[in-house]
Amino acid sequence: MILALVLLGLAGPAAAYDPNVPPTPWSQLSANEQRILAPVQSDWEHLPGYQQQRLISSARRYPAMQPIQKERFEARVKDWAAMTPEQRRAARETFQGLRKLPPDKQHELRERWLRERQTGGGRPPGPSHNAPGR
Amino acid sequence: MNEKEFASRLKPWLERSAHNLGEIQETRLKAARLRALDAYREPVRLFGLVTVAAGTAQTIRYSFVQRALLFLPIVALLVALGIQSMQETDVGELDAQLLTQELPVDAYLDQDFRAWLAKQEP
Repeated sequence: MILALVLLGLAGPAAAYDPNVPPTPWSQLSANEQRILAPVQSDWEHLPGYQQQRLISSARRYPAMQPIQKERFEARVKDWAAMTPEQRRAARETFQGLRKLPPDKQHELRERWLRERQTGGGRPPGPSHNAPGR
Repeated sequence: MNEKEFASRLKPWLERSAHNLGEIQETRLKAARLRALDAYREPVRLFGLVTVAAGTAQTIRYSFVQRALLFLPIVALLVALGIQSMQETDVGELDAQLLTQELPVDAYLDQDFRAWLAKQEP
C-alpha cells in the first residue's frame, strides 16, 4: 500500500503528459481564469486535457506577475497553445538549459539572439522559424 | 511491608508445611515453581524514567509499534500528495516563466540559439 502511494506521488509528471486527462470545459473555468486565458478561448475545446491543465496552472501565476510579464503572457499564450507538444517540450528544455548558465552568459545569449533577429539574420522571425517538431 | 520482608516471614511457614506434603503435591509444586521461574523476566526500565514489569513493557512496546504502523500509510499518503502537488506547481511555474521572459518563445526553438547554448553548456 505504501509503495502504491509513493508511486502515486511519483506518477505526477507522467500525468502531466497523460492524454487520458479529461478535458476541462471552458465554462468550468473561474471568471478570472477565463479572463487570463481569453486569447486561447477559441482553441480551448480542441486542446488536450493535460495541456488545458498546464495552461490553468500557468494562469494561476498571472496575478503575481509584473505588468510587463502580464503583457508578455497575454501576447504569447495563444502561440504557445498552438504549438505541438514536441515544440513545447523542446522550448522548455532550451529554457531550462539557459537558466543553468551564469547570469552574464544568459544575458550574452539573449542579447545576441535579439540582435540577430533585429538585423534579420537572413530569416524571418516567427513561431515556425527553425522550430522542431513541425 | 515490602516483598522481601513478606518472603522471609512466609518462608518458615512454608518449610514447616512442606514436610507434611505428599509426593504428588511436592511434584506439582516443583512443576509450578519451574513454570513460574520460566515465565519470570527482569523488570524493564523505560526511557530511564520508570521501571515496569517485563509484561507491561512488552504491551507498551507492542502498542507503540502498532500505532506507528497505523500512522505509516497516512504519512506515506501525505508525502505522496506533497510530491505530486510540488510537481504540478513546478509544471505551471515553468511554463509561466518561459512565457514571461524577455526572449520570445521563438528563441527557444531557434536552432542557432540552441547551438549557441549547447556550446556554453559544460
